[in-house]
Parts: sequence; structure tokens; C-alpha cells
Amino acid sequence: MTAAIEDLLGPAAPYSWGFLDEQSKREIRRAILTAVAVPGYQVPFGSREMPVARGWGSGGLQVTLAIAGEADVVKVIDQGDDAGVNAVNLRRLIASTTGVATTTDAREATIVQTRHRVPEGPMRAGQVLVLQVPVPEPLRAVERGEAEQRQLHAEGDYARMWVSLYEDLVRHGVITCTTGYPCLVGGRYVIATSPIPRWDCPKLHQSEHLSVFGAGREKRIYAIPPHTDVEPLTFEDVPFEVERTPGAACVLCGAVEAYLVEVPGRGWVCSDTDWCARRRRAS
Amino acid sequence: MGYAAVKGGLEAVLAAEDLVRRLRVTDGSRWLEDDQLGGRLRLAVDRVQGEGGLWAPELAAAAIRQAEGDLIEAAQLVRSYRSTLPRLGYTPPVDADEIRVARRVVPAYRTPPGPQLLGRTLDYTGRLIDFSSEAAQRAAVRSNGPTAAVTGQNGDAQHPRRLLHLLRERDLLVERGDHSDPDPFDITRRPVTVPAPRSARLAVLALGETGALVNLWYQGIRGPNAYAHELTLGEVRTGTLPVRVTHPRTGRPVTVGRVGVTEIESIDDIRDGDPARFDAGYGLVLGHNERKAIAMAALDVAIERDRGRTPLEQSVLQTCDGLDASGFLEHLKLPHYVTFRSMIERKEAVRAAGERA
Repeated sequence: MTAAIEDLLGPAAPYSWGFLDEQSKREIRRAILTAVAVPGYQVPFGSREMPVARGWGSGGLQVTLAIAGEADVVKVIDQGDDAGVNAVNLRRLIASTTGVATTTDAREATIVQTRHRVPEGPMRAGQVLVLQVPVPEPLRAVERGEAEQRQLHAEGDYARMWVSLYEDLVRHGVITCTTGYPCLVGGRYVIATSPIPRWDCPKLHQSEHLSVFGAGREKRIYAIPPHTDVEPLTFEDVPFEVERTPGAACVLCGAVEAYLVEVPGRGWVCSDTDWCARRRRAS
Repeated sequence: MGYAAVKGGLEAVLAAEDLVRRLRVTDGSRWLEDDQLGGRLRLAVDRVQGEGGLWAPELAAAAIRQAEGDLIEAAQLVRSYRSTLPRLGYTPPVDADEIRVARRVVPAYRTPPGPQLLGRTLDYTGRLIDFSSEAAQRAAVRSNGPTAAVTGQNGDAQHPRRLLHLLRERDLLVERGDHSDPDPFDITRRPVTVPAPRSARLAVLALGETGALVNLWYQGIRGPNAYAHELTLGEVRTGTLPVRVTHPRTGRPVTVGRVGVTEIESIDDIRDGDPARFDAGYGLVLGHNERKAIAMAALDVAIERDRGRTPLEQSVLQTCDGLDASGFLEHLKLPHYVTFRSMIERKEAVRAAGERA
């Protein structure tokens, strides 16, 4: 009789598959389902403390661990780079707590967890892009009160957002918003686009893949399902501008139509290292 | 395919990790054992348990050793471990009157109901570094023998009556019982939004970082939006409370252990409320941590009094978590070159627009 309890407990393992216990994973999956059903709506969830500090991808990590199954292949990037220190850390955690296969090739991955970028190449149906989000609330700059923010979203009242964009334009001649550009999703909710560059916003529009945004510290999950409109907020006569620098091309692969980052004194390189390496191999 | 071979980043991360482990493990001094940490650095262990939200002294001790004494980092280790534990059920509530006090002071009365029991405290001791050797300190303790406990004996010493009972009997206390909030809000399962039910507020404060709570309280004293209230403490208690679970067969509660707690009741005026009565704030934290519990009780009543007129509730509830704040602060060390490139591009765009105009 006494031995039965030990048997029920099974072999002592300090951490379970996917780190989180099954109830937690189920709860996170439910939040993701709600997020998919109401595109752009920030679903509050009981965010768990993860084995990375808050602000280091704890939200994205919870999403990935909650949806990953044994057959999944996971790619993790930070700034577009598979070798980024945070990407390395998260990839090791995901692999060691689940045993799933990892890859650097965006085409092979079923789940791509990312900080600050959307992979350069097109993503296909069935892939999930998991974005790590530091600040999920697009209204924070124009309204500090959380109760008020929720009400503005509920009423679809983005007037202050428009006014702030207009004032920005009048004062500076351009809209100065850099990354995390506010976008209207499915004609209903305005979201903070992680902080991905403006360059990446069009890749979320009518995409083939599912994008899930996880904000662990702020305990919110939101999503953009495939084939959903994602429109950057701008005015009819002011075209949305992505990052471009005249004459800039990747010194490694020659790409011009890519998100390039500057290496002081050496020129420009693609931020998506996997995409850049594949282009070099192909040429 | 398997484990993606990523050059550069992985090697650097492994080397950094190895450096930390190697230097920590191979230090010339003796290994710090759990019992040493618990026995000699008990307040650090208690603080980690409180901010980690898990009563597990050995685990907290191990975390402090692994974190090289960084208590926030240790709390992070404990809390992320807590995430892996399935939530199998809730314990039935325990009446805080069941506390077995190890220390109890009542600043509000000279001779309160029950004892003034100073207990294990340095509050009234000069802060002088003891330069004598371990041997000399041990010898001094041995030769002096224990000092007899001195308590103003007045009723049951271990389970004293609460000062608030006395105030309630004299109808000096406003009734703040909220029957709309019967079940405690589980902040580990639901995110807290403001305005929050009081049970959520108390749970957030109980998990808060000691320094953050002290600062948030002090903001109210000397900050630009000071509401400058000095409150009176009705109870300062440390001791242990039983933890019970409902027996699956008999349905009766069974005591399965005890946790250390610090409990505070603060007494305050009610501004633009009932001038003939007091209000009370409540603080209860895991472990022996009086500073945190007092700040908690003070902030509890401050938020109640504020009633959403100022952003106080949001500022306290959304900023007092040590892991949130420290983690987000430290994430600034991560690469930000994708975002920074975008920022430079906009600076240049503003300049170009200025030149066109």
C-alpha cells in the first residue's frame, strides 16, 4: 500500500517535458486559442515565471513550450541571428526541456521564436511565428492608465493614437515611430508589433503563417491568424515608410531588399543570418 | 538535423557559463552548506522565500548559493521552479490568530492585551560590528548562558489577542470586510488588473520585492506626491502558521506543516471617510521580514484610501515585483541593434524632412 504512492509519482525528474506542468500548458494554449479567435486582442493570462528573467523572452518561451510537440522543429533567433546570445540560451532551454529538434533553416522550422525580427524569407502555412514582446500595449504612449487603455480598445477608440501620429508628422515632417509600429489587425484592434522594424510589418499582412505574440512580464498573449489584414496606421496621403538607406547593400550576399544592419566601417549586412547564408550558398 | 550548430554565440555563452560555475565551485573557501545558509543567513533565506513565493528553506538556500548571494536571482530560481509544480489544490484558509508567536510588539499600547515579546530582534541594539573572533564569540555566549525571557505577561503568550479586537469592541474600527470577494484571487493563475480586489492586492504585495515596497512607501512620505501619513502599528508579529490540506477520505483538515510568517496590522486615519473611526491595513509575508510586511500594510491602507483617485494602485501593483523590474532592467544588456538601426534611420528621415522644408 505504501509503495503505491511512489509508483504513482513515477520516476523522480526535476523538470517535466516542456518545463511547465501540463495544467499550465493547457491554460496557455487556451489563451492562444482565444487570441487566434479574436485577432489583435490582448488576452490576459496567468504568465508563469520561467527559467529566464522577465524581459528576456519569458512570454515567447511560454508560448513555444505550450505548443511544441515531439514532432516540432524549432528555430530561435534574436535580431534575426541564430547565434545571438539570447537565441542561444532560449534554444538550449527549449531543446533540453523538450527534446524537440532545432534548426537554423527557417524553411525547416515548424515554430520560429524570435526577438525583434520576422524571418526575411516568406513563411508558409502551418508555421508558427512566436514573437517575444516587451511592451504589448500600443496605447501606453498616449494613455498611462490600464483601466482606461482597456476601455479604449473595447470601444475601438484610437483617436488619441491618430492625433499623436498627426502631431508627430506636423512637428517632425515624418512619422518618427521606429520599431513596434502600431498596426490595425483585422480592422478591429491596434497592436504593438513586438518591436520588429517597420520593414517586417508588411510580412504580417495576409500572411500564410500564424503569428503569436507573448508578453510574459505583462501577462498578455495576442495573435495574428493567417490571411488577416494588418495595416500600419498612417494617413491616406502619407505612405507608410520602411527602413531604407540609399545605396545600402549586404556586403556578404549583395541583398538590397532585406533588413540591413550597419557594421561601422565595414558597410551593411543582412540581420537575418540564415537567409543571408542561404543566398550566398545559392549563388 | 538535431541540435542546431550555431557558431560563435553558443561557444561564447558556454564559456561564460563555465567561468561562473568554475569560479564559484573552485573558490578556495569551504562549500556553503544548506544548513549554514539557513542557520546563519536565515533572513536572506526568508527573503528569498517571500519574494520567490514558495516556502522551501532548503531550496531557497541552494538558490542563494547558486546565485552567489544575489537574492533577486535566487528568488528567480525559486519562482521558476515553482512554475513547474502542478497546482493540485488549495489549502483551506487558516485563521491568522493561530499564529504561534516568536516575537510580538504592539507599538500602539504600553500594555496591550497579550505580551510585548521582543524575541529575536536587533531593533534595540547598537549597530556595532563585532570584531571578536568566532572562538571568542562562542565563548562569550557559553559563559553568559541564555538570558531569561522577559515578557510583560498578559494572557496567552503564544496566541495573544489582537489589538484590532480591542478597537472593534470599542467601535473604533471601520468594517472593511468585503463579501463580494469571497475566494482569494490566485495571482499565479490570473493576471492582476487594476482596480484589483483586495485579495489580489495583498497577494501581489506579499510577493513584492522588499526594497521596492519600502521605496513605494517612502515615496508617500517624501516623494513629489507625498500623502505624508504616519501610521501606528497595532501588531508586529513573527511566528509560524499551520498549513492544512483537506484529507481526501475524511474530508477533515489535516495539518501538514508550518510556514514562517511576519504579520503586521497598521492603524490609520480615514481621510474623507468616517472621522470617528480608524482604518486598518494588513501585511503578511512569508518568513521573517518585518520591513516588507510593514510596507505592505502601509501600502494596503494607502491604496484603499486613494480609491483610484491617483495612479497609486497601478504604480504599486504593477511595479513592486522584483523579478519583473530587475529582469526588464537587465534585458537592456541584450542586443538591440535591429531596433537601433531603425531609430537611426528615423533620425536621418527627420533631418532630411527638415532640409526639404
